[in-house]
Amino acid sequence: MNGVLAIIRKELSHYFFAPMAYIVMGSFLLMNGFVFYVILAAVSRAGSAGASPMAIMFGGTFFFWLITIIMIPVITMKLGAEERKQGTIETLLTAPLSDLEIVLGKFSAAFVFYFLCWLLTFVYVLVLRAYGEIDWGPVFSGYLGTLLLGMFFISIGMFTTMISKNQIVAAIFALAILTMLMGSTLFTFIMSGTGREIFAYADLLGVMENFARGVIDTRNLVYLLSGTCLFVALSVKALEAKRWQ
Amino acid sequence: MIQARGLTKTYGSSRGVSDVTFSVGKGEIVGFLGPNGAGKTTTMRLLTGYLYPNDGDAVIEDISILERPKDARKLIGYLPENNPLYEDLTVGEYLDFRARVKGLRGREIKKRIEDVAERCSIADVRKKLIGSCSKGYRQRIGIADALINDPPLLILDEPTQGLDPAQIHHTRELIKSLIAEHTIILSTHILSEMEAICTRALLIHKGRLQFDGTLDSMRAELACQGRVKVTLLCDAEKGAGLLSKIASVEKFEAEPAPPRGAAFSLTPKDSGDIREEIFWKCFDERVPILEMGLEKQSLEEAFLMLTREQALEENS
Repeated sequence: MNGVLAIIRKELSHYFFAPMAYIVMGSFLLMNGFVFYVILAAVSRAGSAGASPMAIMFGGTFFFWLITIIMIPVITMKLGAEERKQGTIETLLTAPLSDLEIVLGKFSAAFVFYFLCWLLTFVYVLVLRAYGEIDWGPVFSGYLGTLLLGMFFISIGMFTTMISKNQIVAAIFALAILTMLMGSTLFTFIMSGTGREIFAYADLLGVMENFARGVIDTRNLVYLLSGTCLFVALSVKALEAKRWQ
Repeated sequence: MIQARGLTKTYGSSRGVSDVTFSVGKGEIVGFLGPNGAGKTTTMRLLTGYLYPNDGDAVIEDISILERPKDARKLIGYLPENNPLYEDLTVGEYLDFRARVKGLRGREIKKRIEDVAERCSIADVRKKLIGSCSKGYRQRIGIADALINDPPLLILDEPTQGLDPAQIHHTRELIKSLIAEHTIILSTHILSEMEAICTRALLIHKGRLQFDGTLDSMRAELACQGRVKVTLLCDAEKGAGLLSKIASVEKFEAEPAPPRGAAFSLTPKDSGDIREEIFWKCFDERVPILEMGLEKQSLEEAFLMLTREQALEENS
């Protein structure tokens, strides 16, 4: 456990001592600020009464997905690839840590960074509250869904960075997997029967829609969490494979 | 302290090391010697658990690196080849991270960092970024990391590689100061470095352990096979005639003529010491010897000899 905490600390200091973190955070806030403004403007027009801005914010726009699938590979790309490139993976793998501890440490650091980014958007909620009533339920379930989705995506980014030596390659690979994951929804239109059901179940847009509406569905929780576990496990295996090479 | 039992590692089709077996006792300081690519680094990576062997095992104080890797690694301080470090951390941050990763806690961390910083003379750069430290400092930072949790066994892969002579001296002195409290395995391809630090040598060549013994026995083995260089005060023709009469000389070659006399390089017949015989022969012939000595063998020559001998043994 101490080892995991040590890795989280180290990775966070890597993030915040480099300009990258501020660029990512800054762009994230800029884009989300823009999106929030557009949503507010649209919702406040006559005839759209009842729509909650935050519900649209969480997965309701194309921008949410664009920002997420680009931002997460950027956050995760360095975690393993850089260690390989610099050779520091050798000191890391010969320290008294299990491979799982290494992966969990790096995973958690990326998640903390992602969490901080979204924490800053809580300002929007406060802004909304200043001008009217807020239904807290969907706001929190929306944040919960966003964080769980982040965990799943980070675990995918984690896996790609663990198998490559070049961070750009890791990022592109992660982007490709995430895009395909998003795009797999399209199969629901061309398939029927069980296949269709599977892809409908895996439809991330639908999952986020539920969370944004305030519905916490166990199936959605299980989907996101088991996906995370799968890719964390694959990352551990990727690290272990390095030792057998 | 540590036992390597039949360590074998293959990389795809090319072989890494095969069947490396040895043991190192507590307090020993053992040098791994071998040309680049001989398998020194691979062996060290197997000992530290960075790589898993295809066959065999390494056992540190009765703990198998394969069965209980975490416990075994706690006992090892490792300085990898080329000493990889995080460029964008300060020296203090790096040591703090390494101390935590190696299971130190609370006050202990600060105390140990101060200890090793003092010991490795890096206290003055603790607030500096590692990326801006000189190579000598970086090497000492790497050794400080290896020492941070005070492990009984140190494995140092080419600790003086790429350093200037002053830094080499400094690093060697540092390593020597550690002998009292640690068992040390280090690798090098410089023979003089072995002589300066180690008590025992393991010679590795083409992934196999070729020689395991004290430096004295190794020196003896190498020196006896060594050629003798002699400068006689006479012309080359007379010298050649004289030397051809010595029974234990297998063959001799004329060397470039020195300012006075004639120089020859002699190869002994049965890898014995032939200097005495040369002396008496020259004494009988009343030819003064200006210079005589065993030809200093380069490491490469030593290797060639040891490996050639091995090949002959295998054939016979």
